[in-house]
Amino acid sequence: MNTIELFNKKSHFATRLVGEELILVPLTDRIADMNELFTLNEVGSFIWDNIDGKNNEEDIANAIVDNFEVDIDIARKDVAAFIQKLSEMIANC
Amino acid sequence: MQLRRTNLSIAGYKIRLQSEWSKLISLEESYKPFCLSTKNISADVVVHSYSEIPSRLLKPLDLLFEARNNGQTFFSIYRQGLSYKFFIYDQKKINKIQQVAILDDDLCKWDVYSKPQNQNGEIFPLLYPLGPLVLYYLTVKSDAVMMHASGIFDGEKGRLFTGFSGAGKSTMAYLWQKSGAKIINDDRLIIRKEKGDYVMYNTPMMYVDIPKRAPLNSIHLIKHASENSMEKIGGAAAVSQLMAFCIQHNFNSSFIERHLTFISELCNQIPIYKTGFVPKSEIIDFIKSYAD
Repeated sequence: MNTIELFNKKSHFATRLVGEELILVPLTDRIADMNELFTLNEVGSFIWDNIDGKNNEEDIANAIVDNFEVDIDIARKDVAAFIQKLSEMIANC
Repeated sequence: MQLRRTNLSIAGYKIRLQSEWSKLISLEESYKPFCLSTKNISADVVVHSYSEIPSRLLKPLDLLFEARNNGQTFFSIYRQGLSYKFFIYDQKKINKIQQVAILDDDLCKWDVYSKPQNQNGEIFPLLYPLGPLVLYYLTVKSDAVMMHASGIFDGEKGRLFTGFSGAGKSTMAYLWQKSGAKIINDDRLIIRKEKGDYVMYNTPMMYVDIPKRAPLNSIHLIKHASENSMEKIGGAAAVSQLMAFCIQHNFNSSFIERHLTFISELCNQIPIYKTGFVPKSEIIDFIKSYAD
């Protein structure tokens, strides 16, 4: 999935901010395997917030560089890993 | 036609069962200790029972949620207008509907359609698994959760033990019982917030037990281990791990958000421990040695 497709799926999650971490709980039509609860750290929450229907992966990686002490290669890897994991979670819901 | 009523109090919830059917409403034995002698109650939920299942209700419409295990369906939930329609399946026969139940949108009234269970025309509106479903939807609309857990009260403190199947919930409860503690339940509990404090309740099971209530002072996410250990956890880790053991129908985001809010507040007030244990009596003093 790309960031636009993921944005359209954000309403399929309930969220709760606990401290600086964001818990994502997917909507599902069956008894859930709750081992797959997604807990996002500060950077993960930032990526989630920036999946806004406009930003693509590169935009989000650049925004991470602007807001955290991290170089662009690591930011790109973080964004790619996040999107892959979220896509897998959505596919399993 | 005479309205037949039976009132129950389960986990502090007032439940009114009523029927226009000429036969008395019947309850499984395990519900009878929860019956109230009071005629007039302010009911948290009303369960209105009807005999027979009209064919018009057997159209499935839009599936919202289904609970299945090993080819057996426990129940299916469909959207019907603003209400929820439940198909409740006979657990002794594959894919045979035993009841159809309609729950209104504010989760306050159930209409339960059942075929008479015997030649006397008796109907059992809370026949498993509908009874636990009625209780679950009471927790959804109030400050509460239903959890797969055992709970004990040792005369001073109430402790809850939860974990995956086989983690030792019942084993732990019976170890405490041997040391003189009272088991609240060894499998399923309702946790409620009452006047700022958390309490745990038992609910009717397959066996008969009296209503029980105890304060909740600590929660243990347990597993069998080679030595006893306890680690206090907090924050998102505690919330997400505790959520895993709550009973949830996650087709509705507002249901999830209520549970998340309840569990988050619970984790701020009650200590949560990851507890590894050897199934021997020593675990009792080991846990007691930690100040809750």
